[in-house]
Amino acid sequence: MRTNRLALAALAVTLAAGCSGAPQETASPSKAPAGPVTLTYWTWVPNMDKIVKVWNAANPDITVTVSKQAGGDDAAAKFLTAAKAGNPPDLVQAEYQMLPSFVAADAVADLTAETAQAKAEFGEGIWGLVTLGTDAVYALPQDSGPMMLYYRRDLFDKFGIEVPKTWQEYGEAARTVHKKDPEVFLGTFSSKDPGSFTGLAQQAGAQWWSISGESWKVAINDAATTKVADFWGGLVKEGVIDGQPYFTPEWNKALNDGKLLTWPSAVWGPGVLSSNAPKAKGKWAIAPLPQWSAGENSSGFWGGSSTAVAEKSPNRAAAAKFATWLNTDPEALELLVKEGAVYPAATKGGALLTEAPDYFSSQPDFWQQVAAISATARGFTFGPNVNVTYNAFKDGFDQAVQDKAGFAAAVGKMQEATLADMRKSGFQIAP
Amino acid sequence: MAAATRTAAHAAMRGALPLGFTSTAVLLLGAVYCLFPVSWVLVAATKSKAELFSISAFAPGTGLLSNLADLAAYRDGVFWLWLLNTLLYAGGGALLSTVVSTVSGYTLAKYRFPGRNVIFNLLLGGILVPAVVLAIPQYLLFSTVGLADTYWSVLLPQILHPYGIYLARVYAGAAIPDTLLEAGRIDGAGHGTLLRKVALPLMLPGMVTIFLFQFVAIWNNFLLPYIMLGDDQKFPLTVGLYTLLAAGANQPSLYNLIITGALVSIIPLIALFLTMQRYWRTDLSSGAVKH
Amino acid sequence: MRASRVPYLFLAPAMALFTLFMALPIGYTIYLSLRGAKVSGLGLGKGARSEIFVGAANYTDALADGALWNGWLRVLAYGLLVLVVMLGLALLFALLLDTAHVRLARFSRISIFLPFAVPGVAATLMWGFLYLPSLSPIRAVLDVDLLGPTAVTFSMANIAVWGGVGFNMLVLYTALRAVPRAYYEAARIDGASEIQIALRIKIPILLPAIILTTVFSIIATVQVFTEPTALRPLTNTISSTWSPLMKVYRDAFVTGDLYSAAATSIIIAAISLVLSFGFLRVVRDRAFGEG
Repeated sequence: MRTNRLALAALAVTLAAGCSGAPQETASPSKAPAGPVTLTYWTWVPNMDKIVKVWNAANPDITVTVSKQAGGDDAAAKFLTAAKAGNPPDLVQAEYQMLPSFVAADAVADLTAETAQAKAEFGEGIWGLVTLGTDAVYALPQDSGPMMLYYRRDLFDKFGIEVPKTWQEYGEAARTVHKKDPEVFLGTFSSKDPGSFTGLAQQAGAQWWSISGESWKVAINDAATTKVADFWGGLVKEGVIDGQPYFTPEWNKALNDGKLLTWPSAVWGPGVLSSNAPKAKGKWAIAPLPQWSAGENSSGFWGGSSTAVAEKSPNRAAAAKFATWLNTDPEALELLVKEGAVYPAATKGGALLTEAPDYFSSQPDFWQQVAAISATARGFTFGPNVNVTYNAFKDGFDQAVQDKAGFAAAVGKMQEATLADMRKSGFQIAP
Repeated sequence: MAAATRTAAHAAMRGALPLGFTSTAVLLLGAVYCLFPVSWVLVAATKSKAELFSISAFAPGTGLLSNLADLAAYRDGVFWLWLLNTLLYAGGGALLSTVVSTVSGYTLAKYRFPGRNVIFNLLLGGILVPAVVLAIPQYLLFSTVGLADTYWSVLLPQILHPYGIYLARVYAGAAIPDTLLEAGRIDGAGHGTLLRKVALPLMLPGMVTIFLFQFVAIWNNFLLPYIMLGDDQKFPLTVGLYTLLAAGANQPSLYNLIITGALVSIIPLIALFLTMQRYWRTDLSSGAVKH
Repeated sequence: MRASRVPYLFLAPAMALFTLFMALPIGYTIYLSLRGAKVSGLGLGKGARSEIFVGAANYTDALADGALWNGWLRVLAYGLLVLVVMLGLALLFALLLDTAHVRLARFSRISIFLPFAVPGVAATLMWGFLYLPSLSPIRAVLDVDLLGPTAVTFSMANIAVWGGVGFNMLVLYTALRAVPRAYYEAARIDGASEIQIALRIKIPILLPAIILTTVFSIIATVQVFTEPTALRPLTNTISSTWSPLMKVYRDAFVTGDLYSAAATSIIIAAISLVLSFGFLRVVRDRAFGEG
């Protein structure tokens, strides 16, 4: 349907141009049709309609239509199905961990030529997430999720604990808190959020996937990841860290009731906290994640997404132009921050954030802290079947949390499931 | 003999009183069980964001009006568009489905022809295949003819419903006397006339049942529209509410809107049930009894 | 009635819809189940991924998959629980509604039927909230973790029972209403108690309807999907392969292996067919004795 309408529009424009004798525009290298185009854009960023309105007003030739989708695993499946069927949207929001699957399915376009200018706007770690460590560019980074420690300042005082500098201190604090009040936990380990675990593993220096030559190297059960898993598994086994998942009504209640004192989370935490635990406003603060050894300074990413262009889109150049504007133009970045509540991936995006979020009014230097933490986040390469790995995480860690039997076996299962799936499909795997 | 009968009847009457009491009590218990979670939604919809997770489950909150206002204002009132879409899908789909089911059921019940049982079994066998299985192939097929992401892609696959055809066949078998059709034919009525003038009026109550079944089924369907539709302006309520629930990893789920939306979305169904209640017949097996 | 082309003409719409939206997608599913993805090298870039014929490999994988068999076992336990409790309650309620001297019958009937109008996802969401340890008002009465490893099967069965009991009750009740009252009068005069009438007369009359509801319930149970999927985010006790259909969904929508999903779904359809075929035959023989 869309293509038909577009073809018709293109035809009408060509005819009009021919009649009036106007000089024909020379086609750009990436075969952009001359004249106005309409692009569809699948995204779940809140208020994206408002941001796009600003673009549409300034660019009558390239009209973007937003279609708000549900986020999460099925969003990727829906896009892949649409791409397979031959009618994907022109633009799509792609979470970084899903981008390799999109590339492997040949569903997103290589934008190397169109994004040559934009590259300078992003940090190296973020840029690596959209190139997958190759020479191609598959998307424009939109937002990122550097991780930090959210903690209840008031309750830390009440329980007489310091902000932990190392994970060891974090474990000690967990014991202290739970001993003083068995109803209260320092934190919880969520077996439903592989993204969070991945971020923590990144901080410890894990590299689950890497490319060497023409083959993939898979090392999910590497030393760094095992260290992280053993740490949390031990605390859950001991019973001093809770095992309930994040983002459930139950978790919201625990936050509201002051039964959870910390949340190792990403920069988008304030939106979640203010919406789900409005009662605790002004009581939370942020600090860098505890480190694996004193004096270190690193973090990881949880979440974040990019804007990709569908391989089958007939308007690649126009779509890339919009994606570049959306993710690098100062005006667009400001809108993303204000309307979309995202933490922009572009380096100059950080400068736009000056006033601390309302929920964190007691910490006026919130964004300065975030900027400092953000600079310490480690890069990472995602593989072509992250969804398999993440699914294995949920199944394996669900079981492990329930059994309170340590997490090492669950990490082993993730590695096995990932390798088995890649072997089955025929990916070349380095020994 | 007469006296004995009277005594027995009397005894039965005396026994009936406590039995009536017990029956009433058990049924009311069942009613309470069934209303329990619904009443929870009713209460939860009155809670503000702060109240939802902090006050006890059945304590009413103070946020009903603001929840409704938020819902109405969400993305320029897109919720009402979803409601309209759902009405269109459910109403249109159920109407078409009723017509197809009735005509098919009538034909299968009242005509003898080669292949009748094969066709019936084929149509009925469709119920064995889970919808999850069909959604993706249906989407791929719609895409090849350029109809994916249109109203048709949600309407058309839901017209055929094995259960509806089954119901219609049983109903036609029980409600339309062969003699009536025979008489009509002797009077020179054609097949079309017989269908319109004799069969359909007699099958009307059964048709209402099929309509309601399909209406509810389509109203509540999630997977098919989820796969078929990309354009959020064409979403039905189920898919729309899902976009609120799965708001993305870094956005909070809009629980208040979801709960209020869920409540608003079942109100039309309940209203439909209460108004159509006296037409609602599920006597698909009454035919079975008569045979 | 005999007519050469007319019945086929009347059945044409249903058959066309069946061919387009059932037969074709099913055929496509079978085709997919015999294929697999083949990737070369890194699998990135153009033409790195292709589709190949793999024969029965997807089927042998599915049959050798321990997770799938565990899923079948869980569904078997869950299904027996649901079938017995749901149909038992439905029968009890229908019989009680049909006794004389019952009060507030209309209110009870509508209340018990109400859950039918609530979408499965919404129902699970509601019950899910009510199950959560710290939010649950049930917890105040019953001190068990309703989402714990053993309790979760019962909790899930409860949702299915809640959603299905009213519908099945209504099917049975309407079947009872179709029986002439005189039937029971005779028994009453002979001195039979209400309970004796229920056991000796009503239940045998209801038998075809009971079999019918059983068949439809079996099919629905084998395809259980919504409840465990919607409950899963709330608890650690439900894996992504809890039920066979969940595995299909996971393969198709999460891990992107459409081919395994297709093979597994064909197996599920086959098992549904085997399970319900015996019942279906009985129902057809009774309902359409004329063959």
